[in-house]
Amino acid sequence: MTRFPLTALAFLCTVAALNAMEISKSLVRIEATSQEPNYKTPWSPGDVSSGVGAGFVVDGKRIMTNAHVVSNARFLTVSKEGDPNPYLAKVLHIAHDCDLALLSIENPAFFKSTVPLEFGGIPDIESVVSAYGYPVGGTRLSVTRGIVSRIDFQPYSHSGMDSHLAIQIDAAINPGNSGGPVMQNGKVVGVAFQGYSGDIAQNVGYMIPTPVIQRFLKDVQDGHYDHYVDLALTYRNLFNPASRRALSLEDETTGVQVCSVYSGGAADGIMKPGDVILKIDGHTVSSDGTIPLENEAVPLDEVVERKFKGDKVELEILRDGKPMALTVPLNEPWPFKLQSNLYDEKPRFVVAGGLVFQPVDQNFMDAHDPSDQRLNYIFDYFIADQLHTNRPEIVVLSNILPDPANAYAEEFRYSVVDEVNSQRIKRIEDIATAFDEQTDYYVIKFAGGGRPLVLERKAIEEARPRIRERYNVAAERNLKK
Amino acid sequence: MKSIHLKRAVWLALVLLLAIQSTPADDSATAPASASKFLLRVNSTNQVYEFFQPWIKKPPFSRRGIGALIDGDRILVTAELVANSTFIELEKPATAEKSAATVERIDYDCNLAVLRPADPAFLAGMQPLALNGPLKVGDEATILQLEPNGDIAQTLGRITSISVAGYPSESGSLLLFKLGAPLQQRDGSFTLPAVRDGRLIGMLMRYDARNQSADIIPTAVIRHFLAEVNSPTYQGFARLGLAFAPLRDPQLRRYIGLKEPGSIYVTDITPRGSADAAGIKKGDVILAVDGLPLDQDGNYNDPDYGRILFSHLTNTIKHPGAVLPLKILRDGQTLEIPVTMQVANPDHAISETHLSDEAPKYLILGGLVFIELSRPYLKEWGSKWASNAPQRLVYYDAFQNELPADRGRIIILSQVLPTPDTIGYEDLENIVVTKVNGQPIKSLADLSEAAQKPLKGFHKIEFEEDPKLLFLDAASIQSNADELKKHYSLPALERL
Repeated sequence: MTRFPLTALAFLCTVAALNAMEISKSLVRIEATSQEPNYKTPWSPGDVSSGVGAGFVVDGKRIMTNAHVVSNARFLTVSKEGDPNPYLAKVLHIAHDCDLALLSIENPAFFKSTVPLEFGGIPDIESVVSAYGYPVGGTRLSVTRGIVSRIDFQPYSHSGMDSHLAIQIDAAINPGNSGGPVMQNGKVVGVAFQGYSGDIAQNVGYMIPTPVIQRFLKDVQDGHYDHYVDLALTYRNLFNPASRRALSLEDETTGVQVCSVYSGGAADGIMKPGDVILKIDGHTVSSDGTIPLENEAVPLDEVVERKFKGDKVELEILRDGKPMALTVPLNEPWPFKLQSNLYDEKPRFVVAGGLVFQPVDQNFMDAHDPSDQRLNYIFDYFIADQLHTNRPEIVVLSNILPDPANAYAEEFRYSVVDEVNSQRIKRIEDIATAFDEQTDYYVIKFAGGGRPLVLERKAIEEARPRIRERYNVAAERNLKK
Repeated sequence: MKSIHLKRAVWLALVLLLAIQSTPADDSATAPASASKFLLRVNSTNQVYEFFQPWIKKPPFSRRGIGALIDGDRILVTAELVANSTFIELEKPATAEKSAATVERIDYDCNLAVLRPADPAFLAGMQPLALNGPLKVGDEATILQLEPNGDIAQTLGRITSISVAGYPSESGSLLLFKLGAPLQQRDGSFTLPAVRDGRLIGMLMRYDARNQSADIIPTAVIRHFLAEVNSPTYQGFARLGLAFAPLRDPQLRRYIGLKEPGSIYVTDITPRGSADAAGIKKGDVILAVDGLPLDQDGNYNDPDYGRILFSHLTNTIKHPGAVLPLKILRDGQTLEIPVTMQVANPDHAISETHLSDEAPKYLILGGLVFIELSRPYLKEWGSKWASNAPQRLVYYDAFQNELPADRGRIIILSQVLPTPDTIGYEDLENIVVTKVNGQPIKSLADLSEAAQKPLKGFHKIEFEEDPKLLFLDAASIQSNADELKKHYSLPALERL
């Protein structure tokens, strides 16, 4: 079930072709040169690659596209139909959690003949939509047409960790369609962004619907993207008659059972496992966790999805059989995002005595693919088992640049660092601080309590110039994202 | 003294006999006569429990190997050959005469078992094979196989290494020979005797065809096993119950102030094991075992095998109950700590590594299937179980020594058999139970007991992870119990 982000669009019939004539004043082709950092050699700048995606002009002389089209971009050019010139572009705002971005163009002449597109609502199931873009198979604008198949919450594969409302359409959507508008009655009803790859499914494409787009546009109105806010809890259906009666639910009452409330999240200290959510902002929650919203049954999360940092959620719950009304303030976005794919960030690391220390995140795991059982557990269950309360970051010895100073360190590769010289290591910065101390020995203890790894300061200092030169270590540390 | 002389006389006779008969090794006319004296085909039908549905067994399969007749009318085979056996048959190679057999003793730690024929007269006319003494790297040995007609097939090989290495049960390491030999697959398994000068040098247990290398359980291990079999109470192989790291790193040696050569660093202690009971701690440095200094990799100087891991001394040369002094360096002080060697108690394990010949425990409550975490359960995920099985369970199994000593068994809701009582729970699987009806759960027996005391008519079941909490209607599951049994053809709703 791998989803691929798309990067392009095609003509289907004459009706579409007419729309295409008009839309060519709004549609752009984006060429992005990006540089992906290398988490195995975190001091190196990374490989350069290029890709093509679509975008469209929106209000305020801006271009909307997918975040994944312009992630890690070093150089962006935009071109429009009927104008052979490429125009230099810059990322104005990028939201990796909902795969949307806004670009600005340096040369104001670009917008002279363009028409900003307007947004519509959620299209009806079975209604016809047209997708525009620059998919593989040619370089010119392409249009495909299909119907709305389903409206549901879907994982957004760009971040890998976030789920939002998404609309499934059966129009052919292929790499290069990404960031292109999906239109109905002359208005944008979605941004094409992902589909299924392989033989699992045919004609399954997804677009980001307008509630998600509007939320993004509103969020950046203050000039800054604040991310989604979240209750940071899990809930579960309440179909079971015994569970319903044990939790004091009347026959006709519906609701869901709260399972986990994550410490450090918005609902921490307010909600409890075993609470039953009956209503959210006045919407009655059905036993499968959906609420009626704009004639659709959508997961109750959608209420929180449309909110912003600083907003509140009103909940009616049952706790120990008693009805209660609670208010959850949504102060900060969920801080522990290490399990999502990260972009536009530099890898953080510390090299000491040829030992490379790195904080673990999804990018790290993808690059290293460690088979260490302890590390895999700590990473997989970091949130679910609230391991972040002990260590906000997982710091590992990720690599050993062989040198006489570290000749016996190989057995510790991918071990999680607990302490250096009796100082708890909670973040990568703590490693830097520990090695800045002037002591005779650096005693590194790892999770699980095996033997300590001991490095003598003298040996590290002797090795330093040798290792820098031999392994081309451009910098010995980077602590900034 | 007399008996020793007698035994030696028998050996001499046997050697002589073999020497005569094995000279024309290619002459099939003479080989069967010698083979039939001490070799038997062993055909074992085995049936393993299905750990995902612990009330049923998987389809039976059969393994064939060759057993060696040893002193006391016993047939020596590997434990793997007869693991989970439902029927064992002995067959004389030349005549194909058959007899049923029973397992007299099986020990998965050392991968050995001794069988006895149902009819003692079956062995009449056969001669037991004597055990050889220690071998050295480079010595030759012959692996014995049987042709379909009962003729003996010999493969000559050479010992390439002698070390302490892991055995299939994964419960520890024992002495192991590696024999380089181009062996042909003839029988269902690689349970084959290996001989030298007409004496058994060990039992083959694995064969790596690519490297043409056979793993052999040596006589040192076989002798220990047989001595235990002959003792009034079988105890098996004791374990020190610790893990260590070599002390090769000079920076670490200087840091801990180690002046003595060699020595090893204790990295892990098995709770309630021999070392734990004696007060050995993580971070201790072991300088010597039983007065024998250890090198930096944990080897001592063995009179038979030279530099070899100390666990050969503690596990195989010594028997359970032996007291060994350990010379320890702790916080700069040298201590001498006597350790009484004990066999690992499987009841102390949080997740058992091996469960052959044992019916796995389970308990079904209203359709929720509860089991105890064990390595065999995880292995149901196939050869890549360590990465495919739920990582929380793999972690608990791998790092069980780090869990609190009173953690008890890990009880899992392994799956849900859908019933009217489990509506809405169908997707739950492999989640760890913490409490039932307010009682902490450390065994299936705890769970069974807690299930007798519902709270206000409900069974309240709590988990480590989502959904954290669920309820069952106590009266309803009671009245639906027979229906559940009938519907899913369950022989019983629990096996404790």
